[in-house]
Amino acid sequence: MTTYFIRRILLMIPTFLGSTILIFVILQMAPGGPLERTIQQLQAGAMQQGESVGSVGDIMGGGSSVLPESALRELKRFYGFDKPIYQRYMIWLGIWPRETKHREVEFKDGAIELQKNVGRGNYMTLKLEGEKVGVYNSDGTISEIWKAAIDKDASKDGKLLATIFQSEFSGILTGNLGTSYTYDQPVTDVMAPRFKISMFFGLTGMFLSYLVCIPLGIRKALNHGSAFDFLSSVVIFVAYSIPGFALGGVLLVLFGGGSFWDVFPLGGFRSPTEVWETLSVWGQIKDQLWHAVLPIIAWSIGSFAGLTVLMKNSLLENISQDYIRTAFAKGLQEKRVIWVHAIRNSVIPIASGIGGVIGVVIAGSYLIEKVFNIDGFGKMGFQAILDRDYPITLGFLVIVVVIRLIANILSDIALATVDPRIRFR
Amino acid sequence: MESKNMSEQQEISLSILKKRWLKFKTLRRGYYSFIIILTLYILSWFLPILINNRALVVSYEGDLYFPVFSGYHAGSVFHQDVPGEAVYRELKAEWKQADSENWLIMPPYPYSPYEDITVQGNKMFEEPSSTHWLGTDNTGRDVFSRLCYAFNISISFALILSTLNYFIGILIGGSMGYFGGKFDLIFQRLIEIWSSLPMLFVIIIISSIIRPTFFLLIFIYTIVNWIGMTYLMRAEFYREKSKDYVAAALSMGQTNFKVMFKHILPNSLVPVITYFPFSVVGGITALVSLDYLGFGMPPPTPSWGQMLDVGLSNIPKWWMVFAPVSAQFVTLIMVVFIGEAVREAFDPKVYSRLR
Repeated sequence: MTTYFIRRILLMIPTFLGSTILIFVILQMAPGGPLERTIQQLQAGAMQQGESVGSVGDIMGGGSSVLPESALRELKRFYGFDKPIYQRYMIWLGIWPRETKHREVEFKDGAIELQKNVGRGNYMTLKLEGEKVGVYNSDGTISEIWKAAIDKDASKDGKLLATIFQSEFSGILTGNLGTSYTYDQPVTDVMAPRFKISMFFGLTGMFLSYLVCIPLGIRKALNHGSAFDFLSSVVIFVAYSIPGFALGGVLLVLFGGGSFWDVFPLGGFRSPTEVWETLSVWGQIKDQLWHAVLPIIAWSIGSFAGLTVLMKNSLLENISQDYIRTAFAKGLQEKRVIWVHAIRNSVIPIASGIGGVIGVVIAGSYLIEKVFNIDGFGKMGFQAILDRDYPITLGFLVIVVVIRLIANILSDIALATVDPRIRFR
Repeated sequence: MESKNMSEQQEISLSILKKRWLKFKTLRRGYYSFIIILTLYILSWFLPILINNRALVVSYEGDLYFPVFSGYHAGSVFHQDVPGEAVYRELKAEWKQADSENWLIMPPYPYSPYEDITVQGNKMFEEPSSTHWLGTDNTGRDVFSRLCYAFNISISFALILSTLNYFIGILIGGSMGYFGGKFDLIFQRLIEIWSSLPMLFVIIIISSIIRPTFFLLIFIYTIVNWIGMTYLMRAEFYREKSKDYVAAALSMGQTNFKVMFKHILPNSLVPVITYFPFSVVGGITALVSLDYLGFGMPPPTPSWGQMLDVGLSNIPKWWMVFAPVSAQFVTLIMVVFIGEAVREAFDPKVYSRLR
């Protein structure tokens, strides 16, 4: 068993690499990326100042443009587009050195040595050594922090340009997801509070739906064909036919105070900070719950129908098995037969579904977050795609993928725990 | 000899199908839902002559015009003083008032899904009334009219999408189960990678790069959505492969292709058919979600999701939320009823009572 799970965990690695490469390529191939956007914005700014400008193509081609070439190079370097795509992927993973703190220098008039201020009054000496550039400290030793290279693309018309930079291994494997373009914060800092919000809704929703669905499914199976079974089936059909976010919309119209009843707030995770901070602890709890009622209903409805029907069918199937007849035949009480023998076997499919539920609950909720205007994890990912904020988009997708992979393994573990007959090989 | 066998075989399989059809008919909830959806869907192909702002027939100074079919006629053709296209509703009222010899016949519900506030007499956010049954939206378009056209688009989308998914799923999943070995292993890895991605996000990324049309959207959605079917088909083909009739067919020199699609496939159709209505439900929901997020059909295509988006940005305009949600709900619940009845007819499970 242990070997099986170790193998499963090891198999996660190629899957993880495969899906991240896929995501990376799709995103990087996409036209209208952050570089082009920024250039367009700068261009639009220049247009407002009444200057004549060419198209983006002109600027990219380095023709007559408002952006000086050095600025364009700087932008490319900032967004990492000065490297080929496979290097960018490896830098992003953290297995290829990431270059930071770029400074441009120019070797003028055939000079082979120059000095560059790298901040705080420190000067580095750069020496041209064939194709390479050596960096020396002021005392003449080779610098271990700074490196330099000739910028071949930029060196034209007899000019010789080079860059001096520091390099480090820093990527998702070292926990560095980069810095968001739009929030101007480390991606992890942007994600953490939003992830908590989504977890709150997801886990509460999941807990509540299990709390309702399992007893309901059991009751339906035991009273199969009764009026209760029929009526609850109607509810289940309704729940199945209405997506969570659509139900959320209806609830908002009904109870959000637009045209009908003004019971619940129109959205948001909690009251705005100004109000929130004036509340007592009890008031904060009430405020939080008051905001959470509608979203959680919308959240839970998605898994409600499926879970209940699964529980019911699984129990029904077990009840018609021979071992139940045997249990009755040897004189056990009905209570014991059902609650000890039948139920234990019936929760197996539910247990195996738990991983899938976790994955969906945490990542698949952006529609509901959008309806209720909750600043959660899914909404952040969605907005990042709109803004072409690649560090956040990539970070978001990576986390979703990892959660899914882990959830799959969790399912197997849950299955093995509930059902001792299962032996994975 | 062989042809006789064939016809016998067909008769037997026909009778099984017939039995199932008869069983399906006895499940009234599903059967009536099926009839209603089918009727509505067929009717929805005739929407241009049922719900439209162009007149069916115009008789003007002795000449007959058929604007629904012939398209654009400027207002000046009928001496109506409007810029651009003639406004037939007003024309009708005018002629009636003037008791003129000219006449025209409008479709039963005389509003088009595309005519917005630029057409004279249309207002933004009108409440439901006898003229606009479900009110108007943020650009003055008639909600009921858009709702009906969106029904046609949603169902067509879901049907084509499911069929395509089935086609690919059966082909790949079937091959995986049938050939097994390395082919199976490689595709399983690929599928695992592909299915670990959050699909709606992948679609959004792709849709934000290329503005999708109806068929492009179906294509994109198929790329990410074919996986569900492969699991089912792989298991089915894997099980059927080891049965005697397959060995018999192979020993008679049948090609792999024939064995797969002529012999195994008909024997693994039950999960395919019972799963289909639920696949349609998934397709409709997906389209609504994408349209709601703004990554679905290009505007101004009528769509439930787009209407829901307008409604949720203008909460007091309750009809803008209720109308699309109800339409979607009614459609989906009928498809679910059909699905449940189909499952009952094809794959009946009889549970014994407790003792």
